[in-house]
Amino acid sequence: MPITLIVNGEERATQAAPMTPLLDVLREEFFLTGAKAVCREGFCGACTVHADGIARMSCLMPVGLAQGCAITTVEAIAADGVLSPLQQALEDHDVVQCGMCFPGMVMSLTKFLEQNAHPSRDEMKTALAGNICRCTGYERIIDAVLALTNAPQAAE
Amino acid sequence: MSDPANAVMNFPRRDARDKLLGRTRYTIDHVRPGVLHAALLRSEVPSARILRIDTSIARKMPGVRAIATAEHAPGLHGIGIADHPLFAQDVIRYDGEPIAAVAADTLEQARAAAAAIVVELEEIPAVISMAESLAPGAPQIHPDWKKYEVLVEGAARGGNVAWEATVARGDTDAAFARPDVQIIDSTYRVGRQNHVSFEPRAVVASFEDGRYHIQTSTQVPWTVRNMTARILQVPASHVRVTVPAVGGGFGLKFDCSLEPYAAVLAQMSGRSVSLVNSRQEEMLTCLCRENAEIRIRSAVTKDGEIVGREATVLMDCGAYGGEQIFLTTMTAHTLGGNYKLGSVRLSSRAVYTNTAPNGAFRACNGVYNTFALERHTEEICAALGMDSLEFRRRNVLGDKDLGATGQVFEGNVLGPMLERMAALREKSPSRKTEAGDRLYGRATTVGTWFIFIGPSSATVNLNADGSATLVTSGVEIGSGTMMQSLPQIVANSLGLRPQDVIVKTADTDASGLDLGVGGGRTTVSIGAASSAACEEVRKKLLSVASEMLQTKPEKLVLTGGRIEIAGIKGSGTTIAKVVERAQQVMGPVSGSGAFTAPGVPSMPGCAAGHFIDAIDIPVFAVHECEVAVDPDTGHVEVLSYKVVQDVGRALNPRAVLSQIQGGVVQGMGYALHEEVSIDAHGRIEQSGFETYRLPLALDVVPVEIDLYEGAPSIGPLGTKGAGEVPILNVGAAIACAVSNATGKRVQELPLTPPRVLALLLDRNEPLDFPHISPTWHDNIIHTGIHASL
Repeated sequence: MPITLIVNGEERATQAAPMTPLLDVLREEFFLTGAKAVCREGFCGACTVHADGIARMSCLMPVGLAQGCAITTVEAIAADGVLSPLQQALEDHDVVQCGMCFPGMVMSLTKFLEQNAHPSRDEMKTALAGNICRCTGYERIIDAVLALTNAPQAAE
Repeated sequence: MSDPANAVMNFPRRDARDKLLGRTRYTIDHVRPGVLHAALLRSEVPSARILRIDTSIARKMPGVRAIATAEHAPGLHGIGIADHPLFAQDVIRYDGEPIAAVAADTLEQARAAAAAIVVELEEIPAVISMAESLAPGAPQIHPDWKKYEVLVEGAARGGNVAWEATVARGDTDAAFARPDVQIIDSTYRVGRQNHVSFEPRAVVASFEDGRYHIQTSTQVPWTVRNMTARILQVPASHVRVTVPAVGGGFGLKFDCSLEPYAAVLAQMSGRSVSLVNSRQEEMLTCLCRENAEIRIRSAVTKDGEIVGREATVLMDCGAYGGEQIFLTTMTAHTLGGNYKLGSVRLSSRAVYTNTAPNGAFRACNGVYNTFALERHTEEICAALGMDSLEFRRRNVLGDKDLGATGQVFEGNVLGPMLERMAALREKSPSRKTEAGDRLYGRATTVGTWFIFIGPSSATVNLNADGSATLVTSGVEIGSGTMMQSLPQIVANSLGLRPQDVIVKTADTDASGLDLGVGGGRTTVSIGAASSAACEEVRKKLLSVASEMLQTKPEKLVLTGGRIEIAGIKGSGTTIAKVVERAQQVMGPVSGSGAFTAPGVPSMPGCAAGHFIDAIDIPVFAVHECEVAVDPDTGHVEVLSYKVVQDVGRALNPRAVLSQIQGGVVQGMGYALHEEVSIDAHGRIEQSGFETYRLPLALDVVPVEIDLYEGAPSIGPLGTKGAGEVPILNVGAAIACAVSNATGKRVQELPLTPPRVLALLLDRNEPLDFPHISPTWHDNIIHTGIHASL
């Protein structure tokens, strides 16, 4: 029995064994390589996707449990190729370095900002606890996001 | 000449957008259908003789396309000495050492076949620690060390000492015998640090038209080309290396590693072959910053003059020499740095053990040598009863002072930087109140590092659309150099906008030799080669424009995409039109440039076994931090962190600030969280992120930074590399602050809560190294190199 799931709005089927990590199906079968396999233990967050609207680490999610789920990957965050405000802020503040952790950061923070549009610095840091970055030392990422959430137009 | 100030801007990096969109394809993302998957069979014992390897069963397993063992890659490689086979040959020297490589249709098939290879071993005694390795009668890890090819002459070697670099300037015996000195003797120990680059080491290799094509996640395409050829015993011209976006390096990828395995399998199978380390393989066989043991003693007058200093640094290179051979050199310039020394003797030894080999990691042994030096400095100040800032002000290297190897330093840099740190301290109030009931400590430390220069080449093609293409072997590893400083340098030279400079990714078939991206050298070396290439382009452009505009070349300036008559805006024509004209009269416009270290003299006879006797571009750093130590748990919180860094000229200040924030946080991991321990069987105990504790967002603070510009530098536009150095004195600053907070003698890193708690309770075992004699002369191999001593 194939497993069917909706990936970035499109119905997809996979013959992968149900215990295959969703991450591997996304990367190796659908060639959605934005999600990164870094630790494969759920610590680093680089493989974060949205499953039915919840930020999940796709390395820990067996594809069998994604049957019928709506999966959103980083490739679908920029609608029609226009960066989301979060992505735009991270680009504008020039905070990206090697970039391996950023797809996961974008996915985690996108969900976080939906729930808390005006976080404090400490709330931002707590929200990033599940996304490890080896290059940046975090603080400038937080500055960029807070610049976005504290901007006047972010009020609505 | 163009005005250097015009090159300074916060030009954003062009690769950020695709990285944020998840579109960037790193080497790991190039594993596509039709590419075979490879797996390595690795040893699970630290030391054994190989009696038999039988691959016959594995060969018949489903999907298997090729299996390689030592017979397919007989060459030995190394830095300084060729001691390292690709596959274990007859002998296994560390847990995790590759024995065979398998390529198959799927990764599962490759792993299953690797597991089915029969290996008969006879275990032989292992030496796991450096103390065991240097003990009298210890088993020799390389009994045939005398037979190895020596690639760089001049070092003492012997037994389990893979390499020894020594410095001797002046008469330390006389200094220590003076009646007016106090002698301060200190010992220190540090563990390993894993780079944890988020993209693991990864390669996709193919064999086409009789040549190898290696796509790899590396910092050193030319090293990969040359080493692979050496190992496979083919001409280097038969290897082409290209480099996609690299997902972090930090020095891990400053050496050839997985590439030859994939290459040999590609040649055998006739297919493209991918080989990607699992995270566990990265954790267990990473070319870590080495663990080290240090003894340092100084003879100091009551006024704080350091009349003599002797030190021995033992660096664990693991089973093979690797980068540590080269890095023994750095002790002279780091542990022997910072301060004026009346006389000095240093011995820096790479020691073999039956453990995974170590490698280069951002600022390398400078990080722990600075920790040891600065903690030792604090111990000196305590013994003298002298304020440690005052001691540093009096003793830091200044203009015309001698370094350890007798090189003459130019300019007063560290002194003024200490003043700048004082000003930074004035500006921001102490966070002492945040410590609450915890123990509070503060410390200021200084550090000396250098820019690793070496050869680079560049070609600049000026296109008829007014853009320029920069062709180098530089690699974008995340620091932004290829995206920011290099296009800024080229644009400034040619009067273009940096966004009009195309930067070609590294391809050894297209670009000339380069030492690689590391050691803070990219902006300096590739930048200088690029500047030289631009000079040739300018000359050609100006000669054609001179004819077009009927004006002498020296009256013309390149600016804003145009060539103007000096002082008369709008008088000239566009660069595009000049290129078009040049193409008709002299052909397409291009220039090439080259650069290498000019070489600064050391004092003859001072340094033996060194790869760099004197440093071309010293880089200095002053760090200060405040910590709070929880007396109940031993937890250390960093309350504030300040950096004054010598950057020469900051071409892209925002990018430099990012490097400093990131580098300091990596240093905080080294100082506080990241522990690599090795069990009794020589296996690293931290196999993943659960046990190897990386700094998280909640562990860090915003670093307050002052960029110190204007120190002498031979770099283009007065630049120095800025990315390597920020990690240099973090371990030192935090250790000194914790020592000040607790009143205890901090001798080890990392300062994990259990270690700090033991320190507070006086339960740490004293660090007396039986294998490092207090008598310096006993810590060197007597070969006659220092016969005069």
